[in-house]
Amino acid sequence: MTLKVKFYSLFRINLKSAGTEYKLNSKITIAELIKKLDQDYDNYFTQKLLEEDRSISPGAIILVNGKNIIHLDKLETEITNKDTVTLFPPSAGG
Amino acid sequence: MGKIYEYKVLRVDLTNEEIKTEKISGELVKNYLGGRGLASKILYDEIDPKVDPLSPENKLIYATGLLTGTAASTGGRYMVVTKGPLTGTIASSNSGGFFGAELRFSGNDIIIFEGKASHPVYLSIMGDKVELKDASEIWGKPVYETTDLLIEAAGNKNARVSCIGPAGEKLVKFASIMNEKDRAAGRTGVGAVMGSKNLKAVVVKADEKQVEYFKDEMMKVVKKQTKILKEDGVTGEGLPALGTKVLDNIINSTGAYPTKNFQFAIFEDVDEVSGEALVEKGYLQSNTGCYGCPIRCARKTKLPNGRSGEGPEYETGWAFGADCGVNDLNAISEANFICNDLGLDTITAGATIACAMELYEKGYIDKDELENGPELKFGSSESIIYYTEKMAYREGFGDQLAEGSYRLADSKGHPELSMSVKKQELPAYDPRGVQGHGLNYVTSNRGGCHVRGYMISPEVLGVPEKLDPQELEGKPKWVMTFQDLTAIIDSIGMCLFTSFALGLDDYREIVNAGTQFEYSSESLLETGERIYNLERQFNLEAGILPEEDKLPARFDEPLPDGPQKGISTKYREILPEYYEIRGWQEDGWISEQKLKDMKIK
Ligand code: SF4
Repeated sequence: MTLKVKFYSLFRINLKSAGTEYKLNSKITIAELIKKLDQDYDNYFTQKLLEEDRSISPGAIILVNGKNIIHLDKLETEITNKDTVTLFPPSAGG
Repeated sequence: MGKIYEYKVLRVDLTNEEIKTEKISGELVKNYLGGRGLASKILYDEIDPKVDPLSPENKLIYATGLLTGTAASTGGRYMVVTKGPLTGTIASSNSGGFFGAELRFSGNDIIIFEGKASHPVYLSIMGDKVELKDASEIWGKPVYETTDLLIEAAGNKNARVSCIGPAGEKLVKFASIMNEKDRAAGRTGVGAVMGSKNLKAVVVKADEKQVEYFKDEMMKVVKKQTKILKEDGVTGEGLPALGTKVLDNIINSTGAYPTKNFQFAIFEDVDEVSGEALVEKGYLQSNTGCYGCPIRCARKTKLPNGRSGEGPEYETGWAFGADCGVNDLNAISEANFICNDLGLDTITAGATIACAMELYEKGYIDKDELENGPELKFGSSESIIYYTEKMAYREGFGDQLAEGSYRLADSKGHPELSMSVKKQELPAYDPRGVQGHGLNYVTSNRGGCHVRGYMISPEVLGVPEKLDPQELEGKPKWVMTFQDLTAIIDSIGMCLFTSFALGLDDYREIVNAGTQFEYSSESLLETGERIYNLERQFNLEAGILPEEDKLPARFDEPLPDGPQKGISTKYREILPEYYEIRGWQEDGWISEQKLKDMKIK
């Protein structure tokens, strides 16, 4: 079992990657996941998902198993090996 | 020269081939702005809401918005307002491109078509010369060819054409009106009304720009707003790069992506058909935009088979894709091109095929009825292309499809399998996964529709702030505000997509700058409320009763899959509160007093 992270929209196109996987030893928070991703992707995700005060950027979409973390424990939402995290930059359409 | 708040109206009597001009100004403009609002008021005042939509007694109104043709960002839109044949409600379809601005430049702000021509005609506006011309030679021709021929006949390659294709001529209940070939006044069957009047097209080329407004005042605001639109993450980056199709993966991931006629809320092949796939497969050529638009969300695509065109947009890609269980982006794009060329609304076309697929798989449509056409099975890319063409020409089984999913399913004894509200097909969001959006579906004045109050924006995308899609508290107020704000945007002729970055105060600022009117944000929003109430009143008088404010029974069943599995629709719990904050009666009717207070009657 691994933690799956999926990239979409401009993330996927700019990074030329559909996502990554991590094998975790214990639960981590979304804030910690973003740090992990930053190490692997050159600080890309902090810049795209967080404000300077490290709150979630307006419009950035971070889902844990399809649920927006804003309605869970925000950046403190805990994730483990069986979870899927999905990341989108601010997006809209219709 | 025409001041933008003094509308010049062309009244075209098709029966007697007479054209008159009139003016509208003053209170009516202050109360209804233009575009959707003003045209709806004209329709309400001039026709009996009970008329047969395809009879000569119905009127077809082309209306530019208050700021159409000015420097306002995205200020190029026009609306077609009439009584719609699909729903029987007031129909108002909005289109971008360049036609609307050119019409405004020509000094003709609104065109009212009345009666029915004795033979096919088109309206030609070349500078000051306005005339009805014979269209017998182009009757029957698809949109692309019609457009090319009319531009040639105009003798000016910069002339703009808005026309119907064969679907409008054949009175397909969801025929569109197309301008610049690929831009659509798509929904509610406005193209069929045009066809019923024997009117093929409107061609326009202005000699000089007859649009007068307070330019210096407005330019300051335009500069500021263009900067906001360019710097915003959505309108400055997301929409230009991926267009509306960025939504496939978002809506699918949240479990609200209707699949196989809304039987499921997750499409397992989404990676094959998403906006990202369009880029990765190399189909996407470039992005393009409408008049005065800094966002440029439209897509030019080229398929491996060499065909190219615009689209698919999110809704279209979904209707022919996930809703039909089809994972072939090539076929989906092809079906989209056919819709544009033959003049069909892509959402209803795709969703009607999806409904037919469910009817067929459940044994309610006989194989014989298909007359050797491909089997209507979910996932059949052959079917979506074949039947799209058939329905546009009303050939074979296409004749039944041309009536839309509700009439089709009803004729087979299973109206509950039509995923529609007030007989218009729902777009690409399962209402069980977004409860406020569900309330918007049932209270939309033109039936199943997402662009009357796009609650996906707060409930999923977090714009302007993130709301929990399953929370009910406060949603009626949000829905009402979104509906009223949208009515304003449609009436001033700007694109709804600007609202991802701009708010009520911004629209007030630009309207006031251009006209020197003195709206407060409240009084402007009240104008939107007035327009919304007028449309509702039209529908009530047309016989579309509050009992119709409902979703198909399928949505009372729990979502079968995805992150929101087990949840059903809850709109009934908040509909009474919605009526109440709207100031309507408990039974959903609008009191005479309210109509008077709102200056509707
Ligand atoms: S945002 Fe898209 S649809 Fe709207 S005006 Fe711009 S290009 Fe046209």
